[in-house]
Amino acid sequence: MKNWIEILIRSIGLFFITFAAVRIMGKRQIAKITPFQFVYYTVIAILSALISVNLIKNLAFGLISLGVWVLFPIIFDYLSLKSKYFHDLINGKETILVKQGKVMEENLSQVRITGEELLRELRAKNVFNLADVEFAIMEATGEMNVLLKSDKKPVTPHDLGKQVAPQSEPQTVILDGNILDEALSNIGLNQGWLKTQLNALGVPLNNVFIGQVDASGDLYIDLFDDSIQVSQPKVKELLYANLEKIQADLITFSLETQNQKAKSMYTNDANKLQEVIHKLKPYLLH
Amino acid sequence: MTVSSKVKQTLANLKGTQSTLRLYAIQTIDENTKATYEEALVITNEIIKDLEERLKTLEFEEPQYKGY
Repeated sequence: MKNWIEILIRSIGLFFITFAAVRIMGKRQIAKITPFQFVYYTVIAILSALISVNLIKNLAFGLISLGVWVLFPIIFDYLSLKSKYFHDLINGKETILVKQGKVMEENLSQVRITGEELLRELRAKNVFNLADVEFAIMEATGEMNVLLKSDKKPVTPHDLGKQVAPQSEPQTVILDGNILDEALSNIGLNQGWLKTQLNALGVPLNNVFIGQVDASGDLYIDLFDDSIQVSQPKVKELLYANLEKIQADLITFSLETQNQKAKSMYTNDANKLQEVIHKLKPYLLH
Repeated sequence: MTVSSKVKQTLANLKGTQSTLRLYAIQTIDENTKATYEEALVITNEIIKDLEERLKTLEFEEPQYKGY
């Protein structure tokens, strides 16, 4: 057999073997693997390269070695799924670097990190002040995660005592002028609804680049022709304004009427409506 | 503008608003949001009833403005 044919066959075979092996070994982001995982991925890569260019003459020996490096990680992964002890043994444990705002120097030296490296990692997390750090931990992958002191954390609606509407993901129903039926049926709508909406906006389907329907059933579209201005849905804002107007009207009526019974009815209704407005606000204005 | 026609205007406005609310109550997928809209529907219904009752009284008191 000519040399080049042998290399061709070996390469093609190994291409698929390695491909399958790496797929079986699981989904991992290459930047977030532990040092040992990096080692066995590298060994697999080098072994398959050596075998495929015929540097390892004996195919069987090469494949045995490759098999070991593929199988052992899979076995180890399985064991670490089953037992916490194995998991720590194989993947290592996370190390606490900062606790209650104090740097743990002995832990730093244990994972061989200097103070400068600690500060650099913190800066990478947008923390320039060590005083802001409540807790920092180094994961087994070498990545550092930081918890800020509670007064330095970004404000959330919860901190402000504000209620916000739950946001579920919008469905993309039009892409490149084509209707995506699966996404439409996911939110319980059909093509007829979509066509009515587009008609109301006065836009032909083939002019729509992207169309999304949000959780409350409003359609947002982006057109190919950017010179056309599309009115984006403002129904919710209008609805909110209307409710407030009606509430104001009720208060006016209650002030104007002389009839005591009517007065109390209007006031009562105005209060009820005020409550509704308050509850609807996070859903209508966001 | 008479009192009864003002009330009528508000009533019409409220009914329009309620129909939009109903649309959202049907369209929305999230259960919590749906419940909030439905609660709003119930309360607007009560207010509509109150206003309609009041209109009847007003028209009885001022029959000369009936229909305006």
